[in-house]
Amino acid sequence: MTLDRFLAGVERRAFRIAQMALRDRDDALDVVQGAMFRLARSYGGRPSEEWSALFFRILYNGIRDAQRRRSVRSRIFGWLPGNRTDDDDEGDPLERIAGGGPEPDRQLMTDEAMQRLESALAGLPARQQQAFVLRCLQGMDVAETAKAMSCSEGSVKTHYFRALQALRAQLAEVW
Amino acid sequence: MNERQDDARDEALERRARELFDASVDALDAESRSRLARARRAAVTELESGRRPAWQWWVPATVAASAALVAVLVWRAPEEAAPAVAQSVNGDAVDAFELVAAGEDLDLVAEDLAFYEWLDVAAPEETTGRGSTT
Repeated sequence: MTLDRFLAGVERRAFRIAQMALRDRDDALDVVQGAMFRLARSYGGRPSEEWSALFFRILYNGIRDAQRRRSVRSRIFGWLPGNRTDDDDEGDPLERIAGGGPEPDRQLMTDEAMQRLESALAGLPARQQQAFVLRCLQGMDVAETAKAMSCSEGSVKTHYFRALQALRAQLAEVW
Repeated sequence: MNERQDDARDEALERRARELFDASVDALDAESRSRLARARRAAVTELESGRRPAWQWWVPATVAASAALVAVLVWRAPEEAAPAVAQSVNGDAVDAFELVAAGEDLDLVAEDLAFYEWLDVAAPEETTGRGSTT
């Protein structure tokens, strides 16, 4: 598999993962772009089967760095007006779905359900979030997730189990 | 029984979460998709520029090996290989090496050094003396 093909296959999902964690489109794009460059520069010559775990490990490092930068920034500039994230800039949901796609009602329900999932995920500890996103949403197996998270397979199972428990408690009633 | 119910609920939750996530990926706006594609192309270009064809590695390697060979020839046989270059570039170093190698000349050099040291001390005195007389 070529690097171009690999990245084409993961770029949108990686972007959504970064966007869910950072809640900001530009920050998420920067993080994904950085992960692509880093993979190409440092690991482009490695066997393609290793790329997925490496890419998501780099991606999560980038997300963590961006969160730290934001935390510092908000401590310094938090009192100034004009700090914004995608949460503040979503606008009218009806306007967003007016451009086409599936039926508006269904799209609206899907958007709301996704927002609930994102909020529930945001409330989880970072490692549980990561385990759930990589295992469930990205569809990685336990071994690959362990490589991406730089931990043992047992830890992945534990984090995933706890994430599922917490999400079930929060979402089972509303879904 | 409860465990089985939990498993079923977990599976339903996982399935629903995957569906929602996939739908949100499919609904990505055109600008984000375009920026991601541009970033990907730039990353792939980066990889390709880092991978030189084999002949591009041989050229600098050959140049470096040639330079090393010339340096060795000049050092080992300065008169025969390139006397002018050897004298201008390595002249002082070669002289010093030859002096050290030829042990019998060292006394002579020591005498010369004593002479130059005396000259260095004597010359200012002479200058001062001459100055004071005028």
